[in-house]
Amino acid sequence: MLDAIDKELLAAVADLEGLPKGAFNIRKNGQLLKREVTANIDIESHADGQGITVTIKPGTVNESVHIPVILSQAGLYDVVYNNFIIGAASDVTIIAGCGIHCGGLAPEGHAGIHEFRIGPKAKVKYVEKHYARGPGRGRRSLNPTTKVFLDAGAEAEMELTQIGGVDEANRVNEAVLGPDSLLLITERVLTEGSQKAVSTNNITLEGAGSRANMISRSVIKGDSQQDFYATLDALAPCFGHIECDAIIMDSGRNETVPSLKARHPDAALTHEASIGKIASDQLMKLMSLGLTYDEAVNRIIQGFLK
Amino acid sequence: MLELRDLYFSVGDRNIIDGINFTFEKGKFYGITGPNGSGKTTLAKLIMGINSPNGGEIRFGGKDISQWSITDRAREGIAYSFQQPARFKGITFRDLLAMAAGTDDQEMLLALLRRVGICSLSFLDKPVDAKLSGGEIKKIELATTIARNPRLAIYDEPDTGIDLWTIQPMVRLLKREQRDHDTTTIVVSHNRAFLEAADIVLMINEGKLAYRGDLQGALPMLNDLSICNYRKCVGDRDVGCYR
Repeated sequence: MLDAIDKELLAAVADLEGLPKGAFNIRKNGQLLKREVTANIDIESHADGQGITVTIKPGTVNESVHIPVILSQAGLYDVVYNNFIIGAASDVTIIAGCGIHCGGLAPEGHAGIHEFRIGPKAKVKYVEKHYARGPGRGRRSLNPTTKVFLDAGAEAEMELTQIGGVDEANRVNEAVLGPDSLLLITERVLTEGSQKAVSTNNITLEGAGSRANMISRSVIKGDSQQDFYATLDALAPCFGHIECDAIIMDSGRNETVPSLKARHPDAALTHEASIGKIASDQLMKLMSLGLTYDEAVNRIIQGFLK
Repeated sequence: MLELRDLYFSVGDRNIIDGINFTFEKGKFYGITGPNGSGKTTLAKLIMGINSPNGGEIRFGGKDISQWSITDRAREGIAYSFQQPARFKGITFRDLLAMAAGTDDQEMLLALLRRVGICSLSFLDKPVDAKLSGGEIKKIELATTIARNPRLAIYDEPDTGIDLWTIQPMVRLLKREQRDHDTTTIVVSHNRAFLEAADIVLMINEGKLAYRGDLQGALPMLNDLSICNYRKCVGDRDVGCYR
């Protein structure tokens, strides 16, 4: 059922050796490939076939759901709208991701719109990896949108990673935080060649006591370009922080625009941003430990994107 | 074991290192001192290959290493402890120590921690980032230098950011490393504790080797106003020196 390319893509985007345990939904070339549900996690297809609704019962703890998408059909642009309804006081991990194998000249792409409704005091860890490979020269595009609505006391930790091979990426992350909720987003993107990636983030701190921390790490190699926009919009007493760092190598270009909007006098918003080449003191330190220049560069990038 | 022959380093028309000749003997402890801006750190960086000399020769173990890279000098047995250690994102003390020691074996890393006097195991997984205190980053710097098992260890101002109570244990650690591993040790410092521990004190002034010998012999020069570069006004017409 899973061929060698499928297995490689699943390993790259979801760390899977084969079919996962627990609930899962694997989508291949716009079609459902395989699905499993559990007593606490239900998955249903939308009537139009373009997406799923994952419903997690209140109080579900220590369970996970995998929802990887794999594409290997030339000329296909797959669009899905997935809903996640996370019951109150649950604690779950969701592993998503899209892997593209491009074998020809025709472009391939995927747009996944993921909407999370996270119930009171529920905790979600969401891990999403994007990866493309293959000998074909067709453009590979991935345009994910993530919308998160956090109820009172809910927590979401989101790790969003684009690990290489994607020619065009246009990512949008939106979040609305209820009272005492917590959102942690870590985005890591590596581009090379003539690739382009844009990340637009709008986080609204609506509830009193809400907290958001957005971390972005970008590595821009070759002639590639990455742009990062992040806005924290505070409507209540809250805390928000944006940390965005970009390492430019070769002729890479970057635009980073953090934006803070305090519309409540007790909002505390901060940001730190940096763009630059690898610091020479870091390179010298690792070379003084016996690493070559190239080994030192790789080790620093590896750590930066870890 | 380390020979500097007619060594020059200049920036523009200014000689930062101005014709230094000196031979460091195996297993000895050297303290390099001198006023701010005299060329101490530059000399240490020339030995490590961080800066390249404009003239002269650096010989290590009989080989001319003047044009060698930092990496090649490190692999030949020279280790360097930076005055302002680098901070990283996503790299832990464990990562650095493993790179320095050439192994990630837990038992060997723990043995290294004991060797440098770090008792807290949780310290191993601390990120080497901007959140570390000055004292913590210096401990890490020292540990990664010692973990190289170097033939020549260079410490540039190891007491920067270290509290007064930690300096003597640090001196004892470097002396123990010198004694137990026959490590040729060079410490660049203004601190008397390191200079007292040294077998030989070298004083650099305006890029030249102004003195070599024991600390007692260096004291008159250290107190000499001619090498004071932090002066104060005395009356309307004279200058003194802050001491």
